[in-house]
Amino acid sequence: MERFLELVIASVLLAGLYATMAYGLGLIYGVLRIVNLNHGGMIMAGAYAGWYLHSEFGIDPYLALLPVGTVAFLVGMGMYRLLVHRLPRGAAGGVQSLLLLFGVWLVMRNIAYLLFTGNDQTVHTTYATRAITLAGAQVSVNRLAVFGVALATLGILHILLTKTYFGKALRAVAQNPESCTLQGIRVDRIYALTFGLGTALASVAGLLGATLFPFNPSFGAAELLKSFVVVVLGGLGSVAGTAIAALILAAVEVFPTAIPGFPTYLTAALGFVLLVLVLVLRPGGLFGQRVLG
Amino acid sequence: MSLPPWISRRALIGLGAACAVLAVGPLLHDNLYLHNLLTLTFIGIAAALAWNWLGGYLGQVSFGHAAMFGLGGFVAARGEISLHLPMVFAWIFGGLVAGAYALLWGHPTLRLRGPYFSIATIGVGEATRLVGTYWDWLTGGSSGLSLPMHPNLKYTLYWYGLALAALALAASYALRRSSLGLSLLAIKSDVDAASDVGVGAVRLQDLVLFLSGAMMGVCGGFYASYFSYIEPGDMFGFDRSISWVLMGVIGGIGTIAGPALGAVIFVLLRQYLIASYPQLYLGLYGILLVLVILFEPLGLTGIALRLFHRVRPDLSVTGVAGED
Repeated sequence: MERFLELVIASVLLAGLYATMAYGLGLIYGVLRIVNLNHGGMIMAGAYAGWYLHSEFGIDPYLALLPVGTVAFLVGMGMYRLLVHRLPRGAAGGVQSLLLLFGVWLVMRNIAYLLFTGNDQTVHTTYATRAITLAGAQVSVNRLAVFGVALATLGILHILLTKTYFGKALRAVAQNPESCTLQGIRVDRIYALTFGLGTALASVAGLLGATLFPFNPSFGAAELLKSFVVVVLGGLGSVAGTAIAALILAAVEVFPTAIPGFPTYLTAALGFVLLVLVLVLRPGGLFGQRVLG
Repeated sequence: MSLPPWISRRALIGLGAACAVLAVGPLLHDNLYLHNLLTLTFIGIAAALAWNWLGGYLGQVSFGHAAMFGLGGFVAARGEISLHLPMVFAWIFGGLVAGAYALLWGHPTLRLRGPYFSIATIGVGEATRLVGTYWDWLTGGSSGLSLPMHPNLKYTLYWYGLALAALALAASYALRRSSLGLSLLAIKSDVDAASDVGVGAVRLQDLVLFLSGAMMGVCGGFYASYFSYIEPGDMFGFDRSISWVLMGVIGGIGTIAGPALGAVIFVLLRQYLIASYPQLYLGLYGILLVLVILFEPLGLTGIALRLFHRVRPDLSVTGVAGED
């Protein structure tokens, strides 16, 4: 029973990170209808940014969240204006945007490799190994902090999307860009801002992930996949759906570790099996299609 | 002798002539470096074309074709080592298993168009690589498998490779020009509309997926025989999957012969890049992808079509290639 509780807590804490990670991907897909294959690249960049600021300047990773997120936001806007903006819309744009952003991801991986070599890096904070007892289970302070930040991020996003003019405009563009143009919403600017926001979320998730796991330039590939599983499971852009889907994915990954002799490399394959199952059984996601918000 | 109307006599003669020249070529020179490079190019051509059947003709871009390549390679190698199958039968066996594996994961995922499918293929590739690395019984784990060495086999495989590339090119032609090709185009443009007018979208997509996976598997088997040592990290590697995407995109995604051209360029480029800048090749692949997509989405074929159009505007060939 105690072991069960530990597993539940571990799943919930991990789900926070997964939800943040996935939300950026879902947001961009929901509004621009583009799967940002560079999502993994930005996750990796966020991880390296946090690690660099910490090891060179001693800046705490949690304090680095805001500056890293802001820079990533600008990078995302720039990427939209420079590259994504030039793609055709519609079916052809789908394949081309995939290939284009995949190319960007390869470039980013190569840059990271040149700058920081292919070795695994970790962010070592003074409190990395500290743990507190929560409901009888030992919980790492760091994991709790990551969970807290993830919750706060999702909360802010929810308010941003439902309560502000930008959020309303974004949701309107997601529904029908043509009518938005007629209503005087600058659709292209919303696209740029959304792309920036999604990119910023990816880098924040990467930075949070870096405090928990070791990473190298190919960090982000598995994370992209997990984000995608969550987006497919949870439907697009619904914060609640994303949270539940992230929880399911985390539980699927965490619980088998309690089975004695379960090979750890198979946990990576489990997420994928889950993806295929959902695609086959519920192609519209577990909760059907939702509007953003 | 009468040909089906969709086979152009000129294409047939061209393919035959090219094969003839390449087949007698090695008898006229004894440059082993060139011999090796050409064999690698053949295998690249066959694999890139097989990738294009799915990625170009159907518009379902796969980032995980190394899964079938690796599986076919290891099954063929196991077939040779443990079952003592003759080489070509081992390749076919590997190809069939790889095709069946492609159906296993692809049949459910192919219901989804575009991005969903593509991302799922990243997962397939990674999951297969992980399982392959730890599945000692099939792949020999991280120490890999060594095949029995035969003197002269490597030299002879040149002609097998040529035959494989020619077969893939002929299949590409048939898949595009026959009435099947029209059905595939219809599916690519709009699955639902195609189904409405009686195109059996699910069956045809499965067929193409199987053919693509099986050809990949045969290529994997060929690769195993050629290098006589294979290792999961390399066979299932992500870089390998990307290389076929890149060959297709450079040459002209969705065109009949474009990916073959892309494979030639790619193999030459890689030979040079790996020798000179082993640290940069991933990024250079990326830059190439970005540039081609932004400036010439049909790749070299697109450039060729433009040039042709400029020289002979009266014979405009737009609509022939696989434009989106």
